[in-house]
Amino acid sequence: MFAFSAEDEVNLLVIVVDVNPIWWGQQAQRDTEFTLSKCIDAVMVLGNSHMAMSRTNKLCIIASHCQDSHFLYPCKSWRGGDGRDEDTSSSGDGKYELLSVANNLMADEIRSVMLKSKVKGNSTDTMLAGSLAKALCCILLHQPLFQCVLVSVQVIKAADDCALQYMNFMNVIFAAQKQNILIDACVLDADSGLLQQACDITGGLYLKIPQKVALAQYLLWVFLPDSEQRSQLMLPPPAHVDYRAACFCHRNLIEIGYVCSVCLSIFCNFSPICTTCE
Amino acid sequence: MASLSEEVLLVVKKVRQKKQDGTLYLMAERVAWGPEGKDRFTISHLYADIRCQKISPDGKAKVQLQLVLHTGESTTFHFSNESTALKDREAAKELLQQLLPKFKKKANKELEEKNRMLQEDPVLFQLYKDLVVSQVITAEEFWANRLGGINNTDSSVSNNKQEVGISGAFLADVRPQTDGCNGLIYNLTADIIESIFRTYPAVKQKYTENVPHNLTEKLFWTSFFQSQYFHRDRINTGSQDIFSECAKQDEKGLKSMVVQGVKNPLIDLLSLEDKSLDEGYGLNTPTPSTSNSHKSVKDSSNSAIIKRFNHHSAMVLAAGSRKGDTHAEQASETSSTDGNSRDSDFFQPPVKKVKLQEAIQYEDLRRENGPKTVALNLKKSDRYAHGPVPLQSQQYTTSQDIINSVNFIQHEMANYKPNLTQVLSSTSASSAIAALSPGGVLMHGGAQQAINQMIPSEVQGELKHLYAAAGELLRHFWSCFPVNTPFLEEKVIKMKSNLEKFQLTKLRPFQEKIQRQYLSANLTGHLEEMFQKAYGKFQIWQNRRMMRKT
Repeated sequence: MFAFSAEDEVNLLVIVVDVNPIWWGQQAQRDTEFTLSKCIDAVMVLGNSHMAMSRTNKLCIIASHCQDSHFLYPCKSWRGGDGRDEDTSSSGDGKYELLSVANNLMADEIRSVMLKSKVKGNSTDTMLAGSLAKALCCILLHQPLFQCVLVSVQVIKAADDCALQYMNFMNVIFAAQKQNILIDACVLDADSGLLQQACDITGGLYLKIPQKVALAQYLLWVFLPDSEQRSQLMLPPPAHVDYRAACFCHRNLIEIGYVCSVCLSIFCNFSPICTTCE
Repeated sequence: MASLSEEVLLVVKKVRQKKQDGTLYLMAERVAWGPEGKDRFTISHLYADIRCQKISPDGKAKVQLQLVLHTGESTTFHFSNESTALKDREAAKELLQQLLPKFKKKANKELEEKNRMLQEDPVLFQLYKDLVVSQVITAEEFWANRLGGINNTDSSVSNNKQEVGISGAFLADVRPQTDGCNGLIYNLTADIIESIFRTYPAVKQKYTENVPHNLTEKLFWTSFFQSQYFHRDRINTGSQDIFSECAKQDEKGLKSMVVQGVKNPLIDLLSLEDKSLDEGYGLNTPTPSTSNSHKSVKDSSNSAIIKRFNHHSAMVLAAGSRKGDTHAEQASETSSTDGNSRDSDFFQPPVKKVKLQEAIQYEDLRRENGPKTVALNLKKSDRYAHGPVPLQSQQYTTSQDIINSVNFIQHEMANYKPNLTQVLSSTSASSAIAALSPGGVLMHGGAQQAINQMIPSEVQGELKHLYAAAGELLRHFWSCFPVNTPFLEEKVIKMKSNLEKFQLTKLRPFQEKIQRQYLSANLTGHLEEMFQKAYGKFQIWQNRRMMRKT
């Protein structure tokens, strides 16, 4: 059934979209031109383009929410096969069926995700580390079957970093590096140090876009080409990553610090007894 | 006589040595012989030097005593007193026999030690040969450093002597010999006696009780061998000799041993059975034997022998391990608290665990114990989980805000329909493209990376030449400092003027050429900096010179 010749290189793109309802709700109130709908549209454009680039390209989209992560595409409730609904499949404009099916699925899923969302007060941060982990699992699931040569994870980030996810985040990043998976990041609002590190470590691109309205343009220009093609293009240079550590007492980023030789905790001031391990 | 500061133990007259008559004196530390009528001793040997003494056989006419020294030479004394020759010689021999061992040990030990050292260490042996034999240094000097510890370690050496075990067949070695007239001679040596005592403490007890008050040693042993105790089949234990008690004790001992069982939990003795497969190869059920009495006699005699053998072996083993018993117990205790098997401590007796460990592991294959480590005790380990994100005062979103936002977004997305034809307006697209083009807002970092691609190679070559020349000039300049000699002063001034000339004639035109080509790259900035530093140093030096002169 799956007969791939040697030239068929499968290029898998996983897009992780940050759909934090709080941030998007505030954003919609701030600026009516660029809303979550527009963002999802741009993501769809990127996905369609990716699938249109080659017959063997694969796509996967994950929505990263406050409580959990959802697979927008492909999803379990795919009504494929014979019992196809005429309305949903044929869009009337002669579009490649795969694309139209995918778009419809995505739209349905995102609608259901946003409608179901009930946000509790204490968890207002996006579950980005979890979504990335799910993305990695999805990639590893497909790898033995498809011999994916080029894999990349595209993160579109809206809300701020969550410091509590640091450990999980770093684990995911190092796992991706080991598996030769690129992590690209497109940041809409505030610079994210974690994503900068992720892109630097895995060899991807980090971009904070000045105009949110032109998101689709940035996605197509910078992030659509795969890693082999990128070496031929003039793309934005990698940003300088701030790898400074933060001291354990004040959480200030320090350049020179004092490290306990037993527990390796970092302090900005010298103290004879380490407060972590004594 | 010569000054006799030593005590004289024995004087024997009429002792000939080398066909000369004389007197033999045995003293506290040496033996000496002097010819008749003379004052001094012709021959004097320390007991320490004497290796051994030899006597002529009894049958011979001449009664002689020979002393063999360590060095190999020997001295022969002929006891020529007709009547008392033998007695004299015996007396001398006895005394020597007593005295020699005392001195023997010391001398022997030293020599033995030396020999051992030389044999063990070929290097030392070679050294010895080279130095002492060729008389570069004397033997005393050679051994002076090396033998220092000999006398001190005497006691420890004797302590480390190993216990001699007991041969299991020591009783069988006592082979009786017939002496021709229906009697048996048992040859008992001290070793065999010792083995018997160690194996059968009951016999030792009897010995200490009865000898020498009741029986002589000879009688004791005779009755021992005569008794049924010794013989193999002692079925009837009713006889009246002193050893019947021993037999009863042995029975008791055997029973207690059987009850105690074997300490090794890996061996299950009860599953062993002494059964032979009769006809039918075990398929036939053994018929209830009507001839029980037959079997019983054979059985009982067999079982008696077997019991005796078992008992004998058990006693031999027990005697051999008696000293080591306490050690074994201690070892098993300590190894049961070994860190390896801490979890099963509560469930298994320690002996079994020791046996299991022995069966599983080889000690020398085990990895060496790692260094003792101290456990890490972290109080506030959640500090590690916090990322390098500075604690800023986050924008506080009130719960009302949250609810509002969520409602808003839900409202918006409820009617979401992808509108892919209206995703991007052309103006926003073109502004984005502009930002992404070289020279755009987002592309600032890129220019520096491509500098070696933006500069043509001739320019690069020229720059390299410039650098080489400037480097040479600057090297000459800087090597003049510190300026000590007038030659260096002249050189410094000359170099400074050279630098200026270079800057004027080579560097400036190059800079202008680059600028003309509209390359905004600053290629000569570093060169300029180097020159400026050189000028500055020159200035400082000149000022100091001025101040010194004035």
